[in-house]
Amino acid sequence: MFKDLDPVLHSQLRLAVVSILVSVKEAEFTFLKEKTSSTAGNLSVQLQKIKEAGYIEIEKKFKDNYPQTICRITPKGVEAFEKYVKDLQQYINIKK
Amino acid sequence: MEEKEITPDQSLFIIQSMINTAKNKLADDGFLLIFWGWLVFVSAIVNYILFLLKFEWGFIVWPILMPIGGIITAIYSARSKKKKLVRTYIDKYLGYLWTGFGIAMALALFSLGVCGMKSSYFSLMLLYGFVTFVSGGLLDFKALRIGALFSFAFALGSLFVPELEQFLFLAGSILCSYIIPGHLLRNEFKSQQNV
Repeated sequence: MFKDLDPVLHSQLRLAVVSILVSVKEAEFTFLKEKTSSTAGNLSVQLQKIKEAGYIEIEKKFKDNYPQTICRITPKGVEAFEKYVKDLQQYINIKK
Repeated sequence: MEEKEITPDQSLFIIQSMINTAKNKLADDGFLLIFWGWLVFVSAIVNYILFLLKFEWGFIVWPILMPIGGIITAIYSARSKKKKLVRTYIDKYLGYLWTGFGIAMALALFSLGVCGMKSSYFSLMLLYGFVTFVSGGLLDFKALRIGALFSFAFALGSLFVPELEQFLFLAGSILCSYIIPGHLLRNEFKSQQNV
């Protein structure tokens, strides 16, 4: 049911980020910011929450002297996303 | 994008739009490839048979079937544009590619009356090969790229056969570049939709 949907993923920005990360190998912070049309501050906070849940890993490094933040989904994250989609489908089927 | 409560329908929309944005998801269901593939294939074969039967107006099949194909394509494209929730970069590139191809095809068909069958059919097969090769690259779909290579081979081969056999080469080219990859693409698209 609706209330059973994973609270980590059931948020507009966090779901958008995880949806992107399940379909690409890795994505830079700037890419995620652009694709989700979010602010840097809000995105940072939400990325941290997803990371704390163990759904993504964040790597910080330097590229041409500029800091770079790369995000990748973890197997736990993929599993959680798949479960979320299944739960969502169930909910929509019930609604129909 | 702000943080706020979302409904399951919104969740689905977010997932769909984000995945389509980031991933080169199969952006084509193959319908137009299959449709045009069979239309051209049937036209070429019918034209060939009518020529064998010494029917003078054998070519009449083209000016009848092609405009019908054009109308159905326009209706189909307008409908699928309305249905689409997301327009990805791949959709955009494919749109330009196939529009350019349509213009080139129209010019190649026009050249039929000026340069004769051999050179025009050679151009048509090259265009089939080119458009499906690039589409195969954009969609990351190997069968289209392989089919395109066959179309190039048919184009080359057609230069060395009599005019009548051009129809068979055209049919072979469209079978390899449109029909077979089109059906494979459709199957793949459907299986992705079911995930």
